[in-house]
Amino acid sequence: MNGLVHGAVYGGVIASVLLTTIAFGIWFERKFAGRMQSRLGPTIVGPFGLLQSVADVVKLLQKEDIVPRDADRPLFDLAPVLAALFSLGVAAVVPFSPTIIASDLDVGVLYILAVGGLMVIPTFMAGWASNNKFALIGGMRAIAQSVSYGVPLVLAVLVPVILSGTLSVSGIVTYQANHHWFLTWPVFIGVPAFAIYYMAMLAESNRIPFDIPEAESELVAGVTTEYTGAKFTLFYMAEYVHTLVGSAVGAALFLGGWDGPFAPGLHWMVLKTLVLFTVVYWVRWSLLRLRSDQLMVLCWKWLTPIGVLLVLGAAAWVQFVPGGFQ
Amino acid sequence: MNESDGKRRLPRYDEAALAYEHPLYKTLLAAPGLSVSVAPLDLLLSWGTMNSLWVFPMATSCCGIELMSAAASRVDLDRMGTIVRATPRQADVMVVAGTITVKMAPRVKLLWDQMPEPKWCIAMGSCAISGDFYRELYSVVPGIDTFLPVDVYIPGCPPNPEALMHGLLRLQEKVKLARAGQLVAKEYPPNRLDITKPSIARLSDPARDPALSAAQEKSAGEATATDESDERGGGNASAVEPFAAETTSTDVEALLRELGVTEFPKDGAPIVPVEQHVTLARRLRAMNYRIFVHVVATHFPEKTGAKAAPERFEVAYALRSVGSGSKIASWRLSLATGQAAPTLVGVFAGADWQEREQFDLVGVRFDGHPDLRRIMMPGNWEGHPLRKDYPADKACTPWR
Ligand code: SF4
Repeated sequence: MNGLVHGAVYGGVIASVLLTTIAFGIWFERKFAGRMQSRLGPTIVGPFGLLQSVADVVKLLQKEDIVPRDADRPLFDLAPVLAALFSLGVAAVVPFSPTIIASDLDVGVLYILAVGGLMVIPTFMAGWASNNKFALIGGMRAIAQSVSYGVPLVLAVLVPVILSGTLSVSGIVTYQANHHWFLTWPVFIGVPAFAIYYMAMLAESNRIPFDIPEAESELVAGVTTEYTGAKFTLFYMAEYVHTLVGSAVGAALFLGGWDGPFAPGLHWMVLKTLVLFTVVYWVRWSLLRLRSDQLMVLCWKWLTPIGVLLVLGAAAWVQFVPGGFQ
Repeated sequence: MNESDGKRRLPRYDEAALAYEHPLYKTLLAAPGLSVSVAPLDLLLSWGTMNSLWVFPMATSCCGIELMSAAASRVDLDRMGTIVRATPRQADVMVVAGTITVKMAPRVKLLWDQMPEPKWCIAMGSCAISGDFYRELYSVVPGIDTFLPVDVYIPGCPPNPEALMHGLLRLQEKVKLARAGQLVAKEYPPNRLDITKPSIARLSDPARDPALSAAQEKSAGEATATDESDERGGGNASAVEPFAAETTSTDVEALLRELGVTEFPKDGAPIVPVEQHVTLARRLRAMNYRIFVHVVATHFPEKTGAKAAPERFEVAYALRSVGSGSKIASWRLSLATGQAAPTLVGVFAGADWQEREQFDLVGVRFDGHPDLRRIMMPGNWEGHPLRKDYPADKACTPWR
């Protein structure tokens, strides 16, 4: 019972903080994109354009709610809700500080992989239910993509699990706090594993160069082509939440989470998460989109074999290097 | 609707915009006591809408370039929260930037209908406003306000990005006033130089005949439904024989003489007998003239008087040789009314669409063409617009 109350309170707080962060995250991305293209980004709405996302949401909620005549109504309505739910759900096991964690699951890593992997379901659901060719193609691409990035993602996440000997995310962070961040030591395993994780995370949250299901230049707006107003808002936010939470997971698994010099705690976790989050947008506004087949080649021919090698390397490290595993 | 003067009036668009309300908002208005809260809520709602006008770019020609540059670094529409969405479902403002043709108009209408309320339309550039200098052309819609309710007109050819920004600011004003319950004065299209009288009443014109709106709806539906230009018809391109073996001769004039051409006019290509046409093309192709440059048909109407001549058609062909020192070979066919030209599709694959275009616009038939259908005009178009006797200003009722 205690755990339930704890989970509800912390979960509620974390979710609302995340959603607020997202509003400013979107503002930040637009500013950032603007600066990268020597524009200004939002400046007029509120100080420095800070209220831009608020205005967008107010506008979107007022729009007419259109459901295509031939759409599969229940699925069509359910998909955005599920997308928001799953993307927020991952945050439940992420330790934001030694004490701020909604639920310290023993199998936290497994939970992250499972719930994060579920994200593809609402995406395909939306594509299928819209009864629109662009949405459907987008949905099918999402499935093909998830099959490809899923394997390297799991392999990359296995590395910190093996190195620390625990499946609990806060356990992994504690281990790193007591020893080394996995990014810094063993560096020849940690850095490539982190790189693979980061790429797979980009693919999971549909960000350029892997935004193949949304591919604006080919598929209009991909799976969200038929969504208007409030439902589109949910999708839009889910995407950003997913990116943010994915960055937080990456920070926890590889960058030592809340660990840092001077005073370990929340601020280090937030800082690391936001740095990773910013890099996502740096990448997004610099690179081009890969084709579906290029993504498959990348995932199956490169990331997966390298991931297998890294898992073997991590196991060997733990087994044979003195002090590799305490 | 104002029935008092006996004429049905189309609703002024501003009233229609006020008419749409989100169901939740309506509930709020209906609930006793809660309606007091509507005034501050209105402020919030109009603030949100004003500051987040997402654009659906209906950019069909040169004005579209200005629309694009308005989103780029100099003007940067993102400053006021305006971004471009590729799907009409998530857009608030349709910016029609460019010439809208009769074939395009039903598609524009279709996309407009897909946008969720509340929505607005901006006519950017004189083409969208009135058809510009193309307005008397058979295929151009004389102003999009004949079939879309336009909120803001941005004159110019093209209007510069700053003008588009100004237009959006004006739209913001309108949104604000409309939400505050004040009727916004109807925007009228900017004055045109009155070279010709407007040939069609606009949507906002009180004198507009309601039958016209109905006819336009119907015609738009038909143009979309019966336009089969994407489907391939019958016929079989592979039935045409392959071309003759290569020869080394390069003397086009000798070849023409051999095929029975005797006159070589100084001011034009020689006229070749219709029977020799395909042979000539084959032999030329064998002589390395491999690029099919064009086929252009011209209509010469019947002449009376001193220089009396019957109606005829001339079809001019041009080929280009490949490699260095590239040369052009050209010739003409002269056809009587109703006579068909043999197709060149079997010799040059590139002739396919070009011959279709000439068939569509001039009405010359090409014998043996595998797929002779209209390519430029809607499938249910009547007549051939580039014939001299084609009545240009009556071309496509009810758009004009
Ligand atoms: S108004 Fe001028 S610039 Fe704009 S589309 Fe027409 S011709 Fe081009």
